[in-house]
Amino acid sequence: MSSNRQLTVSRAMAEAIALEMRTDPSVFVMGEDIGTYGGIFGATAGLLDEFGEERVRDTPISETGFIGAGVGAAMAGMRPIVELMFVDFFGVCMDSIYNLAAKNTYFSGGNCKVPMVIMTATGGGYSDAGQHSQTLHATFAHLPGMKVVAPSNAYDAKGLMAAAIRDDSPVVFMFHKGLQGLAWMASPEEAATAVPEEAYTLPFGEARVVRAGKDVTLVTLSMMVHRAMDAARALEKDGIDAEVIDLRSLVPLDRETILQSVAKTGRLVVVDEDYRSYGLTAEVIASVVEKDPGLLKAPPQRLAVPDVPIPYSRPMEQFVLPNAETIAAATRITLGKAG
Amino acid sequence: MTDVTVPEDLWDANKTPEGIVANWFYSDGAEVPEGATLAELMVEKSSFDIAAPAAGTLRIVVPKDGTVRPGSVIARLESG
Amino acid sequence: MPSKAQLLWMYEAMEKARYYEDTMATVYMEGKQPKFDIGAGTVPGEMHLAAGQEPCAAGVCVHLRPEDTVTAPHRPHHVAIAKGVDLNRMTAEIFGKKSGLSGGRGGHMHLFDPAVNFACSGIIAEGTGPAVGAALAAKLKGSDAISVSYIGEGAANQGATHEALNLAGLWKLPVVFVIEDNAWGISVPKSKATAIADTSQRAAGYGMPGHHVADNDTLALFEVAGEAVARARRGEGPSLIEVETYRYYGHFQGDPELYRPKGEVEALKAKDPIERLRKAMLEGGEITAEEADAARDRARQEVDEAYAFARAADYPAPEEALTHVFA
Repeated sequence: MSSNRQLTVSRAMAEAIALEMRTDPSVFVMGEDIGTYGGIFGATAGLLDEFGEERVRDTPISETGFIGAGVGAAMAGMRPIVELMFVDFFGVCMDSIYNLAAKNTYFSGGNCKVPMVIMTATGGGYSDAGQHSQTLHATFAHLPGMKVVAPSNAYDAKGLMAAAIRDDSPVVFMFHKGLQGLAWMASPEEAATAVPEEAYTLPFGEARVVRAGKDVTLVTLSMMVHRAMDAARALEKDGIDAEVIDLRSLVPLDRETILQSVAKTGRLVVVDEDYRSYGLTAEVIASVVEKDPGLLKAPPQRLAVPDVPIPYSRPMEQFVLPNAETIAAATRITLGKAG
Repeated sequence: MTDVTVPEDLWDANKTPEGIVANWFYSDGAEVPEGATLAELMVEKSSFDIAAPAAGTLRIVVPKDGTVRPGSVIARLESG
Repeated sequence: MPSKAQLLWMYEAMEKARYYEDTMATVYMEGKQPKFDIGAGTVPGEMHLAAGQEPCAAGVCVHLRPEDTVTAPHRPHHVAIAKGVDLNRMTAEIFGKKSGLSGGRGGHMHLFDPAVNFACSGIIAEGTGPAVGAALAAKLKGSDAISVSYIGEGAANQGATHEALNLAGLWKLPVVFVIEDNAWGISVPKSKATAIADTSQRAAGYGMPGHHVADNDTLALFEVAGEAVARARRGEGPSLIEVETYRYYGHFQGDPELYRPKGEVEALKAKDPIERLRKAMLEGGEITAEEADAARDRARQEVDEAYAFARAADYPAPEEALTHVFA
């Protein structure tokens, strides 16, 4: 089939799920407003019409219950996809996620498996305040037993979703609201991409070099890939050639691609929409330094939310989120070109 | 040549005169099959998909974020 | 029966809340047309309006004192108004302004006014535990202050609700749980989310009386809430009240509401609770149309002033984001 079709991330996710549901009767979806509504962020649009209420189940507002049920169903041979509407809501149901989904394979000595997908919306930038704007990448990536992915575009979203559904381990699929291509929320143009109509998978733990460059390495994922690309385009005008790496998954983390890039550029900027301390930015820098501290020609820079809850008011929220300008400024610092 | 037209009864134009093209799912010049979802319209709070009435080469008339009304031609499909 | 003063108070609080929400619906669309972008405009972000739910706020809060605690959920404006939250600063908060209740940090789902012991938050059923805690504090301090925890019918299925109900029942705490049953949890109707039709029956499982108020009836709720508040104040323990109420707007502004049966909202509006209360007041003979009009006009003027205050206010400096993380 032609691949000149440009899909939004939300439609790519829904298509990936539909393709798996057509071929694998053990796949089903449940969550709040995922049926008639099609998911608040569009990730299940059209599934109810095709597959019916048994396999596309609207749930009560009972996350501990239905995510726990997802664990049980997965251990009983199904492949559930459960949606946690906003990742911020993990507070009411984390026990089911990190003490059950993430640990049961290990506790059973590998005798049980939990092949479930927890898909959840992340990210801010649209004034939804501190309980509806977090990414919490590191919170999930920190806890062993879950694979964690966070795509930046529709092609990756479709392939990673299919891989997540087929994986025998629990996978947390973190999709950024601002990348979904929803008619009612601004989205970067590049998030919508050409998407093949047939099913395909992308492997976890393989970062993508979005832009090759020789002067500095920008490592990031999800929405911040687009901000980093904007920064790279601005830097190019100043003669700075930045390499931009989209990690695509946090667990497993493709340290090899990062190391190869830093070996080439000698300079590292890490960008994350999560909180700054104890997070992805530190993990990436530590991964480089513990391998070879000599790789870096200058202290690395990191941009992330400065350890405050995401504020509601627009000027304050925009201040705490990394953007193209702050990324470019940090990049210039690593290059000793700060104005 | 086939026009891609916003259906006259898609929404109540007395209530909301204009909508916008929220998404194009094919680029200008793309070959599209009949029935393919071409575009998504956003009218106040509701979104509507527009399907290709025929196969052909897409010529976009109203770009993303452009305004539309019931009856607007948003694109043309060139055949052959 | 409510006194004349109580009737007028409830009517004014309800008119104020309605006019506040209808004004907000208009203001919210500023900067969002023709393209609706949720992050754009005068008031960005999610906006959950409570038009139609005014009885739940006025019929309960009329019995409260400033020292009583109220926790509300993500759809909080009507309750905040009835509890006496500073309307200027609340509106400025929703506009993201420096003079807002929280300097713009919280926005519409996170309104805090300690002067009247009001707080709300954005995650379902989250306020139930804190309401229990405020009641416990009152008990430990020997005060006769009580707590009211507002939740929606959807939140009645959340674990936190059940744990809080049990705690309150176990420790006989002065809490009134008010379930605003607006029939919809976003797009999911109550019948597809809750195993029983009348959630107030669950009260029995937690050792407290349960009350059901049908069809958004302000005066019926006034009676039931009066009993529950008095019981709590006497130290006899908690109560659970479920109120059948109406949601005129979508779950949030931007909700296409395709799940909603055609004509449902119009049918609800035909039995509007504010109109019903006004009619009952006037028929009671103690209140004249002029008195009611004066209350309504006063309410609307206060709302207009609050919006003007919010518009004129300054935005916070970006760096203020870094303050108030810790006490």
